[in-house]
Amino acid sequence: MDWDAFLRFLRGPLFDVALVVFVAGLAYRIVRVVALGWRRDRAPAMGSRAGGIVTSYAKGIGIWPFIPWVKDSFRGNAVTFLAGGLFHLGLFVVIFLGTAHMLVWKRLLGFGWPTLSLPVVDFLAAGAIASMIALLVNRFTQPVMRKLTGAPEMANWVFVFLPMLTGYMMTHHMFFRYEVLFSLHMLAVNVLLIWIPFSRIPHFAFYFFSRTIHGSQFGKRAVTP
Amino acid sequence: MGETIEEYLLRHGVSRRQFLKYCGILAGAMGLSAAAPVGASGLPRYLTSGATLAEQVAQALETRPRLPVIWLEFQDCAGCTEALTRSQSPTLVDLVLNQISIDYHETLFAAAGAQAEEARLAAMEAYAGQYLLVVEGSVPTGGTGLFCTIGGRTALDILEEAAAGAAAIVATGNCAAFGGLPKASPNPTEAKGVWEVLPDATVVNIPGCPAIPEATTGTVAQFLVFGTLPELDDLNRPKTFYGTTIHDRCQRRPFYDAGKFAMSFDDEGARQGWCLYKLGCKGPTTYNACATMKWDAGLSFPIQSGHPCLGCSQPDFWDGGGFYQGQSAPLGPPTLSRIGLAAGAGALVGVGVAAATKARRKPAPASAEPTESEG
Repeated sequence: MDWDAFLRFLRGPLFDVALVVFVAGLAYRIVRVVALGWRRDRAPAMGSRAGGIVTSYAKGIGIWPFIPWVKDSFRGNAVTFLAGGLFHLGLFVVIFLGTAHMLVWKRLLGFGWPTLSLPVVDFLAAGAIASMIALLVNRFTQPVMRKLTGAPEMANWVFVFLPMLTGYMMTHHMFFRYEVLFSLHMLAVNVLLIWIPFSRIPHFAFYFFSRTIHGSQFGKRAVTP
Repeated sequence: MGETIEEYLLRHGVSRRQFLKYCGILAGAMGLSAAAPVGASGLPRYLTSGATLAEQVAQALETRPRLPVIWLEFQDCAGCTEALTRSQSPTLVDLVLNQISIDYHETLFAAAGAQAEEARLAAMEAYAGQYLLVVEGSVPTGGTGLFCTIGGRTALDILEEAAAGAAAIVATGNCAAFGGLPKASPNPTEAKGVWEVLPDATVVNIPGCPAIPEATTGTVAQFLVFGTLPELDDLNRPKTFYGTTIHDRCQRRPFYDAGKFAMSFDDEGARQGWCLYKLGCKGPTTYNACATMKWDAGLSFPIQSGHPCLGCSQPDFWDGGGFYQGQSAPLGPPTLSRIGLAAGAGALVGVGVAAATKARRKPAPASAEPTESEG
């Protein structure tokens, strides 16, 4: 098999198609959520909406992750909270602060930024992969989680796990030739990009919607947690 | 059997001492100097064990008949020939090209025109089924093949004729091996590598831009001396020279592993000799011997000199993204218009579906109104 040609196809035409599906799908999902609309709010404001939004983000990103024991979600299932946090941290660092991925952004956006050194990114990537495995085990050992697990959840896990795994193997030149691992990684990434709009993974975009709206409501009603 | 190579050399004034020296050089050129390449060379066992390597070569030269090499050039820049003639191992090149036997080479020939063509035809006739054919340059197949003609005949025609009587075929340089620069998109001449044009023949590919002179002469020497071809990989490249990637043998590899990258050609990282991956190095996917054999008698190679590997020994390297663009980046930057169009189309469909849903629900009671999030 001509892996060079396959890799060129994956990095070229298929990536372009995957990106178009991803962007179009995400735009559709966002528009559908926005188009749900809001009922007119006639109640007078008791506090600052902007203040509520700022507080909501500050607590959600800056405080709760570091004192998780005050959260019900942590007390209910610590594995989900910790492994989920570690996974998201690793994913963020790998995608935005890994050298190879910054070069992808640079190509797409036209500008780049400084990145973390490979051993640091590598450590967090390994942490993210281990977290995903822990989350999967947790999913099947917790009765409630098991009830919440269906085909879409499993598809999400697989389609996110494969790019992580192949990317890690590629960085370490494990088992196969580099161009083979690179091809497998690009294939997994393209599949993920196409899958995202059809899944619950767009929460990376909707998170900001919900936090902004909730924060705004908290602020307006002066009940900022 | 005709005159052996040894007899031929002695008749041309080469002393026995010089002859044995040549044997040592040839053994080195064929990559016979280490244990693994000996096994990978595809030589019979009796040749790869026992006597010293130079002795094995000497034994073979004493019995092998001298065979001519016919060197054809098509859509090329003659860079591979230039690399050979300017190689810093002149003894080897002199030995293989002049002493042992180039019977036809357009660039090196003193003769030209009809005289040169006659020499080629004469050699092909005299050594039918025995000569080694070396091809440099790609073969245009577009139209009627008229993009490259020599003496009024197309490259395709000349190649097929020469290949029919060849004992073995070696394609040197990326153009002859994989199409090279002439094949770069949009490939106006429909250029192809030799092995694509001659699917039934065994073509040894020595890609590179140019090919490493010692890789070409080493392969030619093996055929001349032992009458065998080296073991090949799936792209028909000798494993002796193309068995590992540039990245695997790169002196800057520890910096890659440590995550230390030069960010530009004149920053501190570049001065410190850090990895050139961010500057577009294609070393991880490029199979060649540059990092070990190097150029100019082992003086240096591009990465050592501070330039990223272009991947010139891989098929279609010319269309594999920008030379200075990181290898992880997508090949074609998606244009803003395409992304904008995709986002617009997605949004438009979203608005349409939302409107249709709303219209369908209108007759329903007030409870179907959009609800407010309560947080």
